[in-house]
Amino acid sequence: MATVVSPVAPPQPATNQSHMHPLPPSVFTLPQTAQLEALYTIIRSKDTSRGDFLFYSDRIIRLLVEEGLNHLPVVKRVVETPTGATYEGVGFEGKICGVSILRAGEAMEAGLREVCRSVRIGKILIQRDEETALPKLFYSKFPQDIASRYVLLLDPMLATGGSAMKAVEVLIEHGVPEDRIIFINLIASPEGLRTFCTKYPQLKVITGWIDLGLNEKAYIIPGLGDFGERRYCE
Amino acid sequence: MLDEVTPPTDEPTRIATPKLENLTFQPKKNTVLVSHGRPPWYGEDGHRISDAFVVGIAGGSGSGKTHVARQIVRALGSIPSVVILSQDSFYKHHTDEELALAHASAFDFDHPDSIDMPMFASCLADLKSCQQSNIPIYSFTTHQRLEETQYLYGAAIIIAEGIMALQDPGLRELYDLKLFVQCDSDLMLARRLKRDVAERGRDVDGILEQYLRYVKPAYDNYVLPSQRHADIIVPGSNNTVAIDLICTHIRRKLLEQSHHFRQKMAIPHLYASPSGTVIPECKVEDLDLTILPQTRQLQGIFTILRSQATSRQDFIFFVDRLSTLLMEYSLQYLPYAPRTVTTPVDATFAGKALSVKYVCGVSILRSGGALERGFRRVLNDVPMGSLLVQSNTSDGDGEPLMLHVMLPVCVRKRHMAEEAWVFLLDAQIGTAAAAFMAIRILLDHGVKAEHIIFVTFLVARGGGVSVLRRAFPGVKIVTAGVDDIMQEGWLNHSREGEENLPGRQVWAMVPGLGQIGDRYYL
Repeated sequence: MATVVSPVAPPQPATNQSHMHPLPPSVFTLPQTAQLEALYTIIRSKDTSRGDFLFYSDRIIRLLVEEGLNHLPVVKRVVETPTGATYEGVGFEGKICGVSILRAGEAMEAGLREVCRSVRIGKILIQRDEETALPKLFYSKFPQDIASRYVLLLDPMLATGGSAMKAVEVLIEHGVPEDRIIFINLIASPEGLRTFCTKYPQLKVITGWIDLGLNEKAYIIPGLGDFGERRYCE
Repeated sequence: MLDEVTPPTDEPTRIATPKLENLTFQPKKNTVLVSHGRPPWYGEDGHRISDAFVVGIAGGSGSGKTHVARQIVRALGSIPSVVILSQDSFYKHHTDEELALAHASAFDFDHPDSIDMPMFASCLADLKSCQQSNIPIYSFTTHQRLEETQYLYGAAIIIAEGIMALQDPGLRELYDLKLFVQCDSDLMLARRLKRDVAERGRDVDGILEQYLRYVKPAYDNYVLPSQRHADIIVPGSNNTVAIDLICTHIRRKLLEQSHHFRQKMAIPHLYASPSGTVIPECKVEDLDLTILPQTRQLQGIFTILRSQATSRQDFIFFVDRLSTLLMEYSLQYLPYAPRTVTTPVDATFAGKALSVKYVCGVSILRSGGALERGFRRVLNDVPMGSLLVQSNTSDGDGEPLMLHVMLPVCVRKRHMAEEAWVFLLDAQIGTAAAAFMAIRILLDHGVKAEHIIFVTFLVARGGGVSVLRRAFPGVKIVTAGVDDIMQEGWLNHSREGEENLPGRQVWAMVPGLGQIGDRYYL
């Protein structure tokens, strides 16, 4: 850019800050502005219609994906502009793909594709094994060359972190290095984040909001209920 | 010469079916007529430098006031924008008793008291001072003022006509030129008879009774005496010379105005040096710009958009992505208030909600349209207006012209505009001429400067933005990037089959993005 300065008047801050201090070094949140808080207020409310839930959760997802992409490397690139001037800019480096954790993660695909046109998207289905009470891989389908790509792992809610960690384990088995995975998430619980980041300290986590904690049923509090359910079924 | 005159229209009945032979150019009343766009009406400091020119035309019923007004509009020819304001619109709201009388043809519509003079004057004053006005609509079928109003804005010349147009001192103060249309009583009665019989199916006795009871006394007592206030008495027919004199006067007045102010007008290259770089050198910190955080992705998007090798498909995709980011960023500057909700797991969340009464977008066409998809991805349910501002290439001075104004209802109505937040969209701020005019239009409507958020991809630091900033310090300008300079250039518009067309002088940003509108739309 020709000139870079910071914004003049800071936007109104959110009153309800993240419930985790300090953040693990691999965790990044969106700027906690009043506007973002207002978006969350809409999708959290149980009285919000499905149409509004879709629209406003999409807005947050787009912001999360944009933030996630900022952690990808760029290289210097010089172009000629239509006015005949040369411009020293940057070019995107490296191939990416999305991987959504079914079913709720799929809801983030539309937002991803709005930002990264025709990006490849792999899928993972992980469910709790009723015998062992541990997350178990049921299904996965990835692009063949996933090992050479940066992976944006999509799951809206990080509660205990069980299925996210299982998904990362599967990706690593497929040859994706840990530091090439970016986990993109709408709402995280502090305990889930802590477990996750302790196990995978190299993996960057982009989360929109860190909530108070979990209830006895392992739902995030205050949370927004079951994301997949609200997005697809209600 | 009875068959030559236009039927008088200041009477409580209206004919709606136009005859085929009448379908020639007939300037409509209460409509802003535009011929070639309106040049700036404000100075470099952003303040209005001239009022609209107001002509008041009075005269008896059937004397030919409307005819004179239309002749003036026609004779003026290429004038920026005119509105003919009719006194008929300002009949008072009637009580039930008055209504009963009106339907029995026993209500005196010719008395000055039947006209809402204060409202007439306040609407005219608003229009004269270049504000919008929402004038009342009077229904002649129900004899009542309707709930709805008609929005008027942007006339450089206003012609107010009606039998009582020179009656009220408050109105008279607003006129720059006062005309009285003179006509013999017998001719006026003859026209009235002819019209009422032919078009309203009334019998001669009834017409004469009404004439003697209301029309004639009103004319003698109020209308005729008001001619002493007139600057010029115009004959109702065979008045070519008079019309010519009047038009010469109006043109001279308008020209004086524009000569007087031309030097001060906000035409960017008048304060730009011919070499291309612009005085004065200003620091970006002084411009009070709100600049999108320069992340890697943003730099990458800009590199793609700036490259002339970028395909149209990619250009559109990345413009849409960038406008979405810009809009999300801009929305931070709206006010938010606390709001507590209950989540589906029965927990409460003390959050926030947008706390504004009205929000809307207004895009400056054509290139402001490139921000509309991003706008819609973020605000899907708010009104979206548009303004068309083009630079005047015909006489080469490149002054901006207002060609089209289509604003959301929440801006049209002044009491709403005062509480509205407006996102003004344009692809870039170069000379800032269009931005300047657009902001002035919103301020004219009563929108607060602090409630205007100008959203743009690129600002030229050395362009007109410094003048814009000085004139409108309260407006927030959110931009994705800042370029250093503006460069003079020629834009070739030759297409196949029409070669050798002269190019058009333009100011381009360097390094810039090229013509964003062309790259996005063509």
